[in-house]
Amino acid sequence: MELTRSPLLKAALKFRWPQFILFALMLTGFLLAILSGFIGTPVGSRNFGIVFTWIAWWAVLILVAVPFLGRGWCAVCPIPLPGEWLQRGKLLGPGETGSGSGMNRRWPNKLRNIWLQNVTFTLAALFSSVILTTPVVSSVVLAAMLFLALGLALVFERRTFCRYLCPVSGFIGLYAQTAPIELRVKDKSVCAACVGKPCYNGNASGYGCPWDVFPGGLAKNTSCGLCLECLRACPYDNIAINTRPFGADLHKPAGRRMDEAFKAFIMLGAALVYAAVLLGQWGGLKAAAYAVGTLPWLGYAAAFLIFIFGLLPALFLLAVSAGRFLSRNPATPRQVFVSFSYSLVPLGLTAWVAFSLSFVLTNASYILVALSDPFGWGWDLFGTAGQAWIPYLTNVLPFLQVGILVAGLVWSVRTALKIAAESLAGRKVLFQSAPVALFSLAVTAGLLFLLV
Amino acid sequence: MERVFRIEASQYAYNPGVIRVNPGDTVTIELVSTDVVHGLYVDGYGVSVQADPGQTTRLAFVAERPGSFRFRCNVTCGAMHPFMIGKLHVGQNSLLWRGIGLALLAAIASTAYFVLRRPSLNTDH
Amino acid sequence: MKPETLARLLILFLIIGLGAAVAVDRLNARQGIVELHARIAEDGGWTPDVIYAAAGQPLHLRLTSDDVMHSFAIGQSDQPAVDILPGQVTDLTLTFDQPGTYIFYCTRWCGVNHWRMRGTIEVSGDGTQAVAIAIRPLYVTLDLDIDAPHPALAVPSGEPSAVRGAEFAALLPGSQILTYQSPDYYRFHFPSQAFLDLRAEPALSHLTDANVWDVVAFIWESNTTPDGVAEGRRLYAQNCAACHGETGAGDGVFAAEVQSAFGQAMSTMQAAGGAPANFTDPQTMLGASPALLQGKILRGGMGTGMPNWGPVFDDQQIWDLVAYLYTFQFQKEPK
Repeated sequence: MELTRSPLLKAALKFRWPQFILFALMLTGFLLAILSGFIGTPVGSRNFGIVFTWIAWWAVLILVAVPFLGRGWCAVCPIPLPGEWLQRGKLLGPGETGSGSGMNRRWPNKLRNIWLQNVTFTLAALFSSVILTTPVVSSVVLAAMLFLALGLALVFERRTFCRYLCPVSGFIGLYAQTAPIELRVKDKSVCAACVGKPCYNGNASGYGCPWDVFPGGLAKNTSCGLCLECLRACPYDNIAINTRPFGADLHKPAGRRMDEAFKAFIMLGAALVYAAVLLGQWGGLKAAAYAVGTLPWLGYAAAFLIFIFGLLPALFLLAVSAGRFLSRNPATPRQVFVSFSYSLVPLGLTAWVAFSLSFVLTNASYILVALSDPFGWGWDLFGTAGQAWIPYLTNVLPFLQVGILVAGLVWSVRTALKIAAESLAGRKVLFQSAPVALFSLAVTAGLLFLLV
Repeated sequence: MERVFRIEASQYAYNPGVIRVNPGDTVTIELVSTDVVHGLYVDGYGVSVQADPGQTTRLAFVAERPGSFRFRCNVTCGAMHPFMIGKLHVGQNSLLWRGIGLALLAAIASTAYFVLRRPSLNTDH
Repeated sequence: MKPETLARLLILFLIIGLGAAVAVDRLNARQGIVELHARIAEDGGWTPDVIYAAAGQPLHLRLTSDDVMHSFAIGQSDQPAVDILPGQVTDLTLTFDQPGTYIFYCTRWCGVNHWRMRGTIEVSGDGTQAVAIAIRPLYVTLDLDIDAPHPALAVPSGEPSAVRGAEFAALLPGSQILTYQSPDYYRFHFPSQAFLDLRAEPALSHLTDANVWDVVAFIWESNTTPDGVAEGRRLYAQNCAACHGETGAGDGVFAAEVQSAFGQAMSTMQAAGGAPANFTDPQTMLGASPALLQGKILRGGMGTGMPNWGPVFDDQQIWDLVAYLYTFQFQKEPK
């Protein structure tokens, strides 16, 4: 269904002010978060930076934005803003010719993939125990992202940080493939006849796609940041936002890549490790994860890396290879490995939802407090600073988690079956998918054990 | 049955980290803090207690609800405080077993549904 | 106004507003209010650790903890302890009538070095100088070496009972009971010494050793009140049990850490290797006089990790603690 058929909605989306106001609010919140880490209390649970980044924002991101809007967060993220404003020499709308700054270089071809994002996410994951709990460290990370985005914007064209470096963008892009909304062109022949391609190069109504995507060729959600510039720029009203079934992009065989495959493993593995370290009762594991720089932490880091880059993919390779053997699949091991790893995308998404629900519900009561007393200085802006800590929905949570994880498993199994059905027929579909489904079942059981 | 557990709390773990009782047991937890002030709050039961080092405190409750429940610290005790967690098992963690069973059934069912609903799994693409 | 200008103003307004709100709060904060940060001793303890005030003028404190639960109390004063919660601010206003130096300290155990969390409030002004005339502690007056080993000269076979001892003590002539029960006798003698003195009394010669020990228990108890012992128990639980153990056996939660940290230092001294004293051990306790115990509590352990409680407890509190310590040896109630 095309949402932009509604004139009201289309006009609202094209109008720059609602988006800009959101930008302004997000930027203020982001700067407040960074500031809180540097000047506020070092106690994480009473610091706006920690509470609003890792509880409030994370909750909205992983529970609402990513599953239902794909890259919806990217549409309002403040991190690229200063860089973009400088690039265009303007805050609102396309810049005048010659008004912007920056060298506008092209990002090197060799790096036009998400391997760098895999690395940045993994790095963040290794230090996550400290980042999530220590205000000043969290602020350094956020500030680093801001400055990196700014610096890159002054050297390279468009939103290089977002597309190729941001650790969050990596997994949002992968999971956006499952989202029920998409931005696509209505009629490709119109694009073929279009001269100038203002959706990509910009015109007076909209600046060219900051995500370096040509909307006319957009087939998957992975790299479209929903910034809506192309919607504003297209002179033929050929751009639409559509709803669609969940998981649609997972079933488009073209463009399946190894870097995205590994992203799926990184996310799945990280969910398992985080569940064990943060929500488990094993103090030694927690201590090792937190004591960055010590020998126990090095052991933990090594185990973490071996698990997500070695063990998990190796087990999966075993599973797909067994399936390939059983089904006499003519495809190469690499091909089956890459294509079937997309069946792990829904599994990873639901794993993160289930895992996040746990610490979000447990710590959500800190949100009202941090709103009233962001720095832990004894302020009480909204009268909620005295709110006592209380975990929410502890009785309902385990049932929710079981439901979500089982739903994710079913989704993952169906995805595997459909992927198999792309190139196989009859019982071979079953033989190829069964070991993959078994792998997903084992992971689900592991998550259930760790969370419930 | 009366069950008494001596649980030592330190930054950031409980020792023992897991305790098991049967449904209906009267559970007494003796909380011994070994470094700073810690607390112990039981998810699902909503009961809690706090202890200073040198002063063991007691939490007594009847384990009427079966299942598995996390207990956690409810006095800010340092950076990893929100993740200071232990587990209380009252009887079997039936939700876990049922969840795994459900997962298995759901996987099989969805596979069967998929395969049976597509008699001609063609290779056309 | 052009939209672009409006947009720029909006961003400017929000960012500057943010900075302004913070700056205004910080400026307001400066006026005569002291922001006192508590951290565990290993991370710096109190910041600042010296506070200045004027006699008769209110001192406004904003107490906050940067890590774990702490509390704020003033030594040798009736000011109740105020909990300091991590990341939260507690306001406290104090007024000192007399100038002088006041010690503030933490009362909630926050690590093995908790007792080192101390600071001073320098109160200036005229008015009678609250000169803490250094009352020489008894162990100094007596020239008692409180670090020397103090083994008991004798130990009882069971647990002596003060109630039984009262009956036996009645056998002594009245004036003698008074002498034995006097604070002077109590403070300057240790229990096994008293045992030997009483053993030699002709009026008690027919009694068994155990019964004579009962009289010792009675004499010790005569120098205490139930309220005093109760206060001693409360002080012990809050301040001593963490190292000395809730049962007095020297097995508190910090005992091992204290021993390993200071065990080496003790090799130059004759006392036991740095472990917290075991008050349930008759050898230790029955050779220690109240004056010796008072001295240990006041002065601390000279490198052993035993804190110096002198600035914190007042005279009566120390005697109450001493009274409580002996209850590990003598029955509190009749069996």
